[in-house]
Order: sequence, then structure tokens, then C-alpha cells
Amino acid sequence: MSADLNFARLRSAGTATLRSRAGIPPTVLVSFLVILLVVLWSLFPSLFTGYSPVNGDTGSKLDAPSLQHWFGTDYLGRDQYARVVYGTASSVTSALVAVAIGLVVGSAIGLASGFRGGWLDATLGRFVDVLLAIPGFLLAVVIVSSLGFQTINAAIATGVSAVAVFARLMRAEVIRVRRSAFVEASYLEGGNRLQALLTHVLPNAYRSVLVLAVLQFGTSILVIASLAFLGYGDPPPSSDWGLLVASGKTYVTAPWLVYAPALVIVATVLSINRISRWLRNSK
Amino acid sequence: MTSGYGRFALARAGQAAVVVLLAYVLTFLVISVLPGDAITNSLRDPQSGLSEADIQRIVEFYGLDQPVLVQLALSLGRFLTGELGFSLQSNLPVSQIVGDALPSTLTLATMALAIAVVFAVAIAYGAHYAPPRWAGILRSIPSFFLSVPNFVIGLVLIELFAFRLHSFTTTDPNSATATLFAAVTLAIPVSAPLAEVLIASLDHESRQEYALVARSRGLAEAQLFARHLVKPSALPSVAMVALIVGELLGGSVITETIFGRDGIGTVVQKAVTGEDQPVLQAVVSLSAVVFVAVNLAADLLTPLLDPRVNVREAANA
Amino acid sequence: MSAPNPGGPTTGKDTTVPETKPSPLLGVEGLHVAYGDRKVVHDLGFTLARGGSLALIGESGSGKSTIAKAVLRLLQPAEASVGGSVRLAGTEVLSLPERQFRALRGRQLGFIPQDPGSALNPVRSIGTQAHEAAALTGERDAAVRRRIILEVFEQVGLPDPVRVYDSYPHQLSGGMLQRVLIALTVLPRPSLIVADEPTSALDVTVQKLILDLLGDLRKELDIGLLLITHDLAIAAERADTLVVLKDGAVQEQGPAAQVFAAPRTDYARNLQADVPALNPDRYRSQRTGAPQDTLQRTWQDSASQDVATQDGTTADSTTADATTADRPAQIAVTNVTKSFRTRGKEVRAVDGVSFAVERGRTHALVGESGSGKTTAVRLLLGLEQPDSGTITVGGHSTAGLNRAGLRDVRRHLQLVYQNPFTSLDPTWRVGRIVREPLDRFGVGSTAERADRVRDALQSVGLPDDAADRRPAQLSGGQRQRVAIARALVVRPDVVVLDEPTSALDVSVQAGILELLARLQRDLGLTYVFVSHDLALVRQVADTVSVLRRGQVVEYGTVDQVFDRPQHPYTRALLDAIPGTSGLASPAVAGAPAEHSHIPKLAEAAL
Repeated sequence: MSADLNFARLRSAGTATLRSRAGIPPTVLVSFLVILLVVLWSLFPSLFTGYSPVNGDTGSKLDAPSLQHWFGTDYLGRDQYARVVYGTASSVTSALVAVAIGLVVGSAIGLASGFRGGWLDATLGRFVDVLLAIPGFLLAVVIVSSLGFQTINAAIATGVSAVAVFARLMRAEVIRVRRSAFVEASYLEGGNRLQALLTHVLPNAYRSVLVLAVLQFGTSILVIASLAFLGYGDPPPSSDWGLLVASGKTYVTAPWLVYAPALVIVATVLSINRISRWLRNSK
Repeated sequence: MTSGYGRFALARAGQAAVVVLLAYVLTFLVISVLPGDAITNSLRDPQSGLSEADIQRIVEFYGLDQPVLVQLALSLGRFLTGELGFSLQSNLPVSQIVGDALPSTLTLATMALAIAVVFAVAIAYGAHYAPPRWAGILRSIPSFFLSVPNFVIGLVLIELFAFRLHSFTTTDPNSATATLFAAVTLAIPVSAPLAEVLIASLDHESRQEYALVARSRGLAEAQLFARHLVKPSALPSVAMVALIVGELLGGSVITETIFGRDGIGTVVQKAVTGEDQPVLQAVVSLSAVVFVAVNLAADLLTPLLDPRVNVREAANA
Repeated sequence: MSAPNPGGPTTGKDTTVPETKPSPLLGVEGLHVAYGDRKVVHDLGFTLARGGSLALIGESGSGKSTIAKAVLRLLQPAEASVGGSVRLAGTEVLSLPERQFRALRGRQLGFIPQDPGSALNPVRSIGTQAHEAAALTGERDAAVRRRIILEVFEQVGLPDPVRVYDSYPHQLSGGMLQRVLIALTVLPRPSLIVADEPTSALDVTVQKLILDLLGDLRKELDIGLLLITHDLAIAAERADTLVVLKDGAVQEQGPAAQVFAAPRTDYARNLQADVPALNPDRYRSQRTGAPQDTLQRTWQDSASQDVATQDGTTADSTTADATTADRPAQIAVTNVTKSFRTRGKEVRAVDGVSFAVERGRTHALVGESGSGKTTAVRLLLGLEQPDSGTITVGGHSTAGLNRAGLRDVRRHLQLVYQNPFTSLDPTWRVGRIVREPLDRFGVGSTAERADRVRDALQSVGLPDDAADRRPAQLSGGQRQRVAIARALVVRPDVVVLDEPTSALDVSVQAGILELLARLQRDLGLTYVFVSHDLALVRQVADTVSVLRRGQVVEYGTVDQVFDRPQHPYTRALLDAIPGTSGLASPAVAGAPAEHSHIPKLAEAAL
């Protein structure tokens, strides 16, 4: 319709000039610290607490939070804080596994789909549609029920249901970049399609996928916690966060049994979301 | 337009059917990873209360002694005729189990959807038009909603309103108030992505040139919103409807469990712990049918709502 | 027109006008605008009388658009702070409460935006949106409003008002949409219209029609015009007073004829010099001069080390010689046709197009949108295959080549894209971008490649340290230089330039064109230059093909086409060049306004 693209429009169509990096906002810093803490909990739980998550002192059952027991004690006298810390490993590592599955498999599908097009895109597209058609949580439930009630299986299940989301995004990004002038230019400069894919498409597409991966990390923690809550994760005496909430809810007089792990979940996922938003805005 | 639209509708419906079939097959294959012996063993467990003849009948019906593909064929054939099989736990027809549980879930889901839409629209409108400090807070609410697991929300609501304030009791999960709180629990995580899409659309649309031109014609912000921004901002949400329905179905498992309701979610919960394949298969497949149907409706509706969408191009997408 | 201030011609501050004169329609004084703590407009002042016209001219970043929006108070208070005085018919409007000012918007103050394609709500019909404008007249009866709307649609020359009324924006062309917008703006009979680059997004023939229409309506309805533009020629043609802006401050202002013909400040003078229509011979000396020895020698040395050129001749015969009858055609396109299927209809993008380009010469493909010029060069580059016809480059046909064959051809045939903002990979560094063709074609060793990249960057006038930067750190002009360097690093014989300067400011444009001219002379390059700007083409080309709807309507040397145009369409194009009618300008051939049938012809093309 328009003959010449005026420069104002073109300028905004291309990549924006670098925004001035004003430093990291404080909320993002706090978020990073929280995540760091959680990661450390999962790797070196014994550094953070002297109590055992499995054996308790039955003399101090259902104690309220105090200086001795930061999160109180549960019905077996176990230190709730220790239980949360020791439960971090399976809650967080499993989430990482889930994201890894979704990211790798989903990106591969999206890449092939978006770059090749044609029948490959149509076929893979149907497959992705199918994964999307089954509600994520239900799919995860079904997979866990087949593989067995273990947190690692819950992780696999969550990962599978995340594949579709990654595939869709990667495909969209690949198609967007594939159509750019600089990709076409690379063909004019004697490049082939594989080179274009590896050197042009991927570096430009991975940014959005990375943001999604961070977001999915948070979502996976929630899904795995929900599965654990329903009893589909590792059985007691393991202390997955979700399982802690589930076993704590029957003790109405000891609300800290529910709130402590709940707050930890919320704080962790909130931090992850904050980091994801910051990444998205600083692209 | 009509013939182009007709072809488009047909193509989409065809794709939808394929997806449903594939979903069924996928679910079946996943579920049947469970070795057949385990099932017959649990059937033979004296506690199941089934006679030898009953067991034999079940084994024959499902072809449990046959290879997986045969079982799949049997199952799929029956699904297509609407026959959903029998529960392994209770021997009741699955269609009956689902039928009994459906009304409760439907009520819950519909209420939750309404509440979610209200929340999302309120947040989006506020985020856009409220004074800057409030707008900032409102903008970060969806992120917060997405950070709290729904079982925590449910437990907190119960703690606060049932145990402290006695607004409802957990012993009567079907009372109006109890249903309301269950719906709120289900609605909160669903409203978040909807709110985010609406906020992003509103931001985008109000920066468009036509908004500027309309303002230059003396339109006040409220008029601009009602006449110009609502429709184009709402369009991306129509595409999201199917995803929302999926979230509602998935979330119902936990919500119904917490609130003690007798809906599809509880059925799923029982089927999982009881390794009741036919029930699981049926519920998941029906969910896929619902999802695909809603998605199809949204796809068919979009060209009618958005005059820019070219039906021929959309059919090839 | 500004009331001549006895204190001096242009002060930029027209303060209190003598009491006997009526207050001007628009009086701006001491206007300043800041985004946060960044000042974008400094202490601006001008006046506009009833029914008069004033043009704000500036390049990008001059703040001209901001000023337009500030006058209309369309800047979001959260983003921009506005200070100073804006008086509309004597009333101070900047301090008015929003509700009172809103009553003025539309009724007294009209606005015509830059991009008609996005200026109307895409999901509502034209008619429903037109009612908003009609409501400003105070008419309550919907049927009467509809009548008024249809009347004004006819007044602006829309051929089928009822159809337009029922259509959606995406169904109409840019020219028609802009007419609709003008109609809606003019409907409530405002006293002032602010037009923000109203024709930049339109084809040049349409541009002329729209500006003519605006002028006619203004005279009829006595409406004042505040015109924002980057095009000095348009401003001089269409406005009584010019205000030249740079970085938010006034450089020069005064009566149009005076500022245009005899600019006083350096900046204005440069702007005037950069108008292509005024300086058709600007680059001629550079193109036909003797090549600089050193550069030519380096080029030839490495060229002879490369794979032999296709037609066997070495690179010696590249001295630009004005007359060579037996110079072989570097490029020959013969009777090429290409059709596309879109939306079920078959469109002939290129229909029997032929042209030939001699080695070392520049051939221009000129046309408006839909003319097929872009498709033609894509066929030349092998990005599309023609349905019929032949294309030879350097004597070798490119028809039916497989990927390897095309790759060989492209070794000697490079492209510079129109948009420097999207033709460079944002994640790559400049050095790597320029080196990419060498890497892909496997030319030379690593050290040699580094040398070549450095040479290329030098020859396009970029500093050595540019190689370490990313595109985002460079300006538009610099990025286009990178694109040119990338095209040259492989020592091609032919460079296709697809509107290489249309995305750039006029002042930057001149620099790029000068660079291209110099490179052609020094390196003996053959150019195929695609453009919609006929005046620009006159500056840079030797031969021209004028395309319209996929067909060549005129073909010849630049002098032939410009001095003795044969086809009415060519004449219409020439006629539409702003700055060629009325004001003091060197003779650019193309008799203005004698052919009364031309406007209708062009109009039918809308």
C-alpha cells in the first residue's frame, strides 16, 4: 500500500537501540538472593540446619515456631524448618528436570517445525496440538499414575506437558526470524540453510525461549507441589513441599505446618516470576 | 465469503477430529504402560469383591489378555460409539460415573470462569486507568496470582471463612457459599494469564495511531475505551478461551479435593489411586474433546468478529 | 503568514503583535517539551494567521512531531511535560482544563496523521467511525449525519462514497484512507488543521493529489494549516511560512519563498542542497571522473586473484568511459514475466519487463508501489524464478539454476537492502557481518579476510573500531554503510541497490549517495538502482526504466526520460515531484500542469 517506508516506522520495526542499562532493580536482586538460597538448600541442606527431617523428638510435638524451631515442629516432633530445607532438593531439582525436558524436546520440535515447514510442520503441529488438547495438569496426573508415584516421575510428567508450550514459542520465533532480511541476505552471501539456522536463527530466537524457561521453572515447582499435595510424589517420610502442606492441613491447631512450606513455595515462585519479567523487559 | 468460510470451517473441523482421535490414542498408550498383570492382580484381590466370572468378563471386555494395539482398537471403537466402558473399581458404567459427577464440576467451572473474567477485566481496566501508584500494584497482581499454588489458596480460604468466620462449613460442600469460595479458588490462577493478555492488549491498542486520532477528535478516555479499545483488545482473549477451559479442568482436581466436592476432579483422584484405567481414559479423552470443541468454536468465531482475518489464509495456517 | 516584524526578518520569537491586527489563529511562544529530564523542544515560537499555512520542517529527532502533538495536547502528561504558551485565537490553551480543551479538539483543531493505514480502528467500519466526526457538528439525527458524511466523502473525491462508508480500513488503499481522514477532519469545519507528515506513507503521485486536495479545501473553507514535514520541497510548495527545526530548536524561519530560495543558515542551506530535485547533477562529476589510482589498483589485483570473472574479460576495462558502443551488457533482462497467486487471484507482478545494463553504469528501476520493481530485482538475484523470459548476468543465463549455480552467480552479484535496521543480524558484530560473504564463499585465508574487512570498512568511511560494535550501536546511515561494505567485500561486479536511502534522513542520504558514486567510479561497479523517487534517480542513474503495474512504460537514458518523456505516466510522475512547480528552482524537465488529463489518469490508478 505505501510506496516508501518512512524512516520513523522503519526504525521501530528493526531492533531498538540499546537501552541504557540502569542497573538491576532491588526487587530483582532480592529475587536472585531468594533463588540462591533455595538452590543452596537443595544442594547442601545439612549446612542450614542441624535437625533431622526424618527423626523427631516426640516430646516436643506440634510446637509453635520459636527460636529453637523456626518453623515449629510437626506431629512427630520433627523440626519443620529442617523438613522444608531437606524437601527442597526434590522440589527444586525435579522442577529443573521438568523444564529441561520441556525446553530440549519442545525447542527441537519447534525448531524443526518452524524452519522446515511443510509436511514436517503439519505433522509435528498435530502432535503439539494433541499435547495441548489434554489439560496440562490432567496429563501430568495420568503420566504419574502410569509411571508410579515418585517425585521424579512427577517431574517427567510436568516436563511432557510443558513441551507443547516451548514448541509453540520456538516455532513462532523461528518463523519470525526466518523471514528477516538478514537471513535472506545470508543466502545471497553464499550461505546455506543449516548455517542460517545455527548462526542466525538460533541466536535471535533463544532469548524469548529463555524467558519462557525461567517462567516455566516457577510453574513446574507449582505443578510438582500440587502433585505432591495429592500424594502423587514421593511418599513420606520424604518432605516435598506439597506433601508437607498436605500432611499439615489435618492439624488445624498447628497452622504453621501449612503456612511455612506454603510461604516458601510462594516466595520461591514469586522470585522466579520477578526474574522472568525483568529478563523480558531488558531484552 | 460464505463458501470460503465454509471450506475453512470444514478444514478446521477435520483437524479437530484428528486431534481428538490422536489424543485418545496417546492417552491410551500412556495409561496402558501399566502392565496388564497388575490390573488382573488387583482384580483378583479378594477385597475387590468380584467373582471369578466377573473378572473373566472384564478381562474379555477390555481384551486385557491381548496385545496393546488390540486393546486400543477395542477401546477406540467403543469410544466413538459413545460407549465408555466400566469402572474397574466399582463395576459401574463409566458414563454413569461421569454423568453423576458432571453437574457439580460444571457449576463450579462456570462460576469460576465468570469470576475469573470479572477479576481479569477489573485488573486490566484498573491497571490502565487508575492513578499511577495503584496501576503499578494492579499490574503486579497477575504475577502474584500465578505464584500461589491453588491448594494454598483453597486452604487459606477455608481456614479464614469456614473455620474462623463460619461463612460456610466444609461438611456441606454444595452450599452456595461453599461453592462460591471453591469457585474463587479455581478462578484465581485462571484469571492471571487472562488479565495479563488484556493488559498487554490494552497497552498496545491505546498506543496505536487510531487511538491518537480518535483522541484528536475530542473523544474522552472513557468513550475511547468503550468504542475503540474494547473490541480489538478482547480479540486475543477469545483465542485463549480453550486454554482457560483446560486450566479450569486441571485445577478442578485439587479444588474439588480440598473442598470435598463430588465432581470430575474427585473422580479423577479416585481413579488414579485406584488405578482405574477406563475411568481415567474416559475423563481425559472427554476433556480433550471439550478442549478441542471450545478451540474450534473460538477459531470459527474469530473471522466473524475480526474483519481483518482473511479466511482463505487462515484455512492454510 | 507572519506579520512582517519591523524589528528584523526572523527572530523566532514573535511577541506582541501590534494591537490593531486581529489575534493570529495560532500563536506559539516559548514552547518547550521534555520527556522526563530530556528536553526535546527548546523555546519555540511562531504565529499562524487565519487561513494561512505554516510548515515545520525537520529531520528525525528535530521534535517536529512532538510540537504538533503538544499543540493538540495529545502528549501523555505522564510521559511529557509541556511548558510555554500556545494561544488559539487569542485564548491560552495549555492551561485549560482537559474537559474544556476537549471541546476544542476536533471542532476547532483538526489532526491528520502520518500513516493512514493505522489511523482508523481496524475492526470497525469507516461509517461508524465517521459518525464520531459528524457528531462534532452537533447534529443529533443519525440520518442527517450520514448524509453529511457522504457529502464530504464526495467532496474529497472518493469515487464511491457509499461503498467507502460500509468498508473496513484494510479494504481501502492508502490514498483513499487519507482522503477519508481529510474528510473527517474537515467535516466539523475546524479553523486549524495540524497535518503530521500527511503524505510520507503515500506514493508520489497520490501525494500530489492529496496535497492539492488539502490546498483546495483550505481555500474553500478558510482553514489554517500547520504542516509537519521532513521534505523541504513540499513545505516550500504548500506553505506560506517555513520554520526550520533541528534538535528541537528553530534554525531559521520566514516566508517560504525566501527561506527556500535564499536560506541564511548553514543548516537550511544544507537541507536545500540535499533536495534531489534541485540538484540533478550533483554526483555526475564523481561518477564520471577518473578513478582514484590506488584504490583501483588494489581492487584489480585482488580481483584477478579471485575466480575469473564470468565473461572472461579481466577487470581492466572498468574505467568509466562515457561512450562505448561495443561495451558488452553486464546484465540483460529480456521479456521476463512472473505471476503470483494471492487470495485466489493471480497477479502479474512483472509483465514482459526488459532492460540491459552496461558494465560500470547505473540503471534505475523507478515505480510506485505495486509497480513490480522489487519483484524484478528479486528475479535478477535469483530469489524468485521467472515464469518466462531470460536473465543473463555477465553473459551467463541464470534461468533454471540450482542452488550451487545460483551461489556462483551471487558471488558477483550482491544486494543492498532498503531497510538498514532489519538487514543486519542484531546479534552479530559489524566485523563479522561484513566478513560473512567471505566466510560463506570461502574466500582467502583468515588473515586475508580480516584485511579485506578492514579495507571495506575504510572504503565506506567507517572507522576501524566500528568492527567491534553491534548494529544497535550505530545510526541508520552507519548501518547502511555496513550493508554496503558487506556487499562489496566479495568484489562483486554488480550491486543491486533496493531503495538504499529511503529509510534515511535527507542529509544522511546525500552522504550515502556520494559514497556509492565514488565507489562506482573507483571500483568499476555496475549498479541496478531501485527507487520510487524520480528526482533521486536523476542524480544517480545513467539509464532508467519506468515501471507501472509490472510493465515498462518508458525506457531510455536519464536525459531522454527526463527531458523528453513519452508516456503520460512518466509525465505524471515528473509532475508530481515536489519543488518543481512554482518556486525558484533549477529547471527540472517535466512541464507542470499543462496536461489536464493527467490527474484523472493518476487518480484512476488509486
